[in-house]
Amino acid sequence: MSAKTKAKTKDGLRIAGDKRASIAGSSVTKEPVDSWLDRLLSRRLVFVMGKGGVGKTTISIALASVAERLNKKILLAEIGDTDAIGRLYGNKTLTEVPLRLTQHIWGARVDPKAELEAYVRAHVTPGFIAGKIIRSRLFEYLFDATPGLKEVMCLGRLWRWEKEENSPARATYDLIIVDAPATGHAMSLLRLPDLLINMIRVGPVANQIRGLQRLLKNRQKTSLVLVSLPEELPVNEAVEFYSMAEDTLDMPVAATFINCVYPVAFSRMELQQMASIESSARDFPFSAVNKLIAAARILIRRQSDQQKHIKEIHAKSTGHIQEIPFCFTNDLTINQIRELSSFIRHHH
Amino acid sequence: MLTCINAPDGPEIIVCCGSGGVGKTTISAAIGLHGALSGKKTIVLTIDPAKRLADSLGLKRFEADAQQVPVENCIVGKDSPGSDAALYAMMLDAKHTFDQLIARYAPPEFQKKILKNRYYQHLSNNMAGSHEYMAMEKLYEIFNQNEYDLIVLDTPPSRRALDFLEAPQRMLNILGHNFFMRMFKPYLKAGRWGVRFLNIFASPVLKGVSKVLGKQVLDDLSGFMQLWDDIMFDGFSRRATAVKELLAGNKTLFLAVSTPQRLPMDEAIFLSKKLLLNEMPFGGFIINRVNFCDSDLEKQGFDPDKVFENTRIDPGLKEKLIAAHNNILKMAENDARSVKRLIDKTGLEKNVLQIPFADSEIVGLNDLYRLSRFFTR
Repeated sequence: MSAKTKAKTKDGLRIAGDKRASIAGSSVTKEPVDSWLDRLLSRRLVFVMGKGGVGKTTISIALASVAERLNKKILLAEIGDTDAIGRLYGNKTLTEVPLRLTQHIWGARVDPKAELEAYVRAHVTPGFIAGKIIRSRLFEYLFDATPGLKEVMCLGRLWRWEKEENSPARATYDLIIVDAPATGHAMSLLRLPDLLINMIRVGPVANQIRGLQRLLKNRQKTSLVLVSLPEELPVNEAVEFYSMAEDTLDMPVAATFINCVYPVAFSRMELQQMASIESSARDFPFSAVNKLIAAARILIRRQSDQQKHIKEIHAKSTGHIQEIPFCFTNDLTINQIRELSSFIRHHH
Repeated sequence: MLTCINAPDGPEIIVCCGSGGVGKTTISAAIGLHGALSGKKTIVLTIDPAKRLADSLGLKRFEADAQQVPVENCIVGKDSPGSDAALYAMMLDAKHTFDQLIARYAPPEFQKKILKNRYYQHLSNNMAGSHEYMAMEKLYEIFNQNEYDLIVLDTPPSRRALDFLEAPQRMLNILGHNFFMRMFKPYLKAGRWGVRFLNIFASPVLKGVSKVLGKQVLDDLSGFMQLWDDIMFDGFSRRATAVKELLAGNKTLFLAVSTPQRLPMDEAIFLSKKLLLNEMPFGGFIINRVNFCDSDLEKQGFDPDKVFENTRIDPGLKEKLIAAHNNILKMAENDARSVKRLIDKTGLEKNVLQIPFADSEIVGLNDLYRLSRFFTR
């Protein structure tokens, strides 16, 4: 493997994932037609999980853009209150009602309270009592006080979107991509059905929880995707997440996206050449050439730090690993995310 | 920016807020070290430090007591800290702190009942806000021990920097005994052992709710509130009020930690506005991992052909070096723009401290020491 890794790359911007793919391609015969990406996008529900700030929204949109090219109808569902998806699509505000963002992509925000109200209206008769419940302070109180109720309502909303049909036997959305909440413990949302079923045993909410459990644990229908950064804490969390997803949730991670990976820009021979230029110009430490090399060294150092963390993900992950190149920007635009999606299509 | 730490009437509590992933824990530890080196007996309350940082701080997982940080291990050149520099660190754990409070304040005969209550288990572990609430409890406890000159609080990870301030209140609203009683009292009936049960048939609203949620939920909740009601809540709400006053007072300083990325910057701006609006003591922004470009090649009129005039170099490598330089420059420009945007939006130019992207990961005490030197500027 190391001999192949050393192989000179023609293009300085090729990234590590690129290389790895070519390594895999040479030892295994060509990837099967049914690649991990095809399989992932053939699910009904894909949860994009990960620590805050790792780029879940970016990956959610990039995946939606890949699926869009397959003529799928996609719903991008945002849980939480950040409005990140809407902001990227021309400062739109997403609500409980899906809004068409592109020809094939819809966007919506999951509103747990609206969902619970819909539940009360559906299950409590007569209607004026339902209205009274919804308006009561007690309802407000219980909504906040019942542990996990908000989360289970979020999941319930997703479940109903999954079931929605716009004509008999034709689902409204082929694929629902969930930009999961950025809690430190991304697990808690998906663990809830298992926990809550012990608390809420009867009634319509209990029935919904059972339905949800069936949907979430069906590997043909639901997949987990993890987004991480090649840094210590996100990788630690990723490693923890793999085992919990498999053991506690029984929902193994299907793919990991490592975001913001610095390009592997220099071959060993080039590094040697740089060193010899530096030593021959030792008397001119502030020469322009040395300054350029010093700048390159910053990137090389960061890149090699990152590779250590990436190695750890490779050692511990379940499922496919996809590296996403760093774009050298603080604020990706929707077009840059679309470029990332073509990167994913071509390099998966 | 943090030179006020040295002052005798400097802050006694520093709260580091910010979105997750910006390096709050590392910054908090460095501020703690700065405090200790300034001669203050300092404790850092931290949430979930990276393993190697925790090791250097002498923290072990599942160890809830304060640990003295071996500051004497940190020697940078000749400049080693004096031996009287005392730094302590403590790991916060919501569940543990909750259980400790029950053990401390609840009568023995109730303790088991509370710990076994399903509602309590959720509350102490999973409920939104429980981590924030516990951080406040611990802060209050340690402040009142009067053992430390300076407490540095690293707030729980969350997407929204402000959660730390708001979550405890939301949680108290739920646990608020008066609030609960006002709503449920009419429906409580006496049970056999003097424990009151929720009579859901007394109210169509409760009946409807139980139809949707199931009666179990209401029973667990009311069972918990009975225990809570008589024993615990007074103390909790008293402390919460006291902590709020403490945080709003002149002994405290809030810092917003961010990186130059868009989302954490927006959160930091939002946080500062909210703090100032509520007349809370806001100390400023610490912008972590800022890229600077030391190279002045651009200013000199950068001509690639000229630069390599006298150097024998592979044309491919030449292009890559130029590309790398341009990327570094681009990052530096992006970050400068991001910081400028922060200043434009807040007008707090003097309260922005930029910390350059470190050459290597910050894991050891020496790294923390180098980081802490930025606070003396």
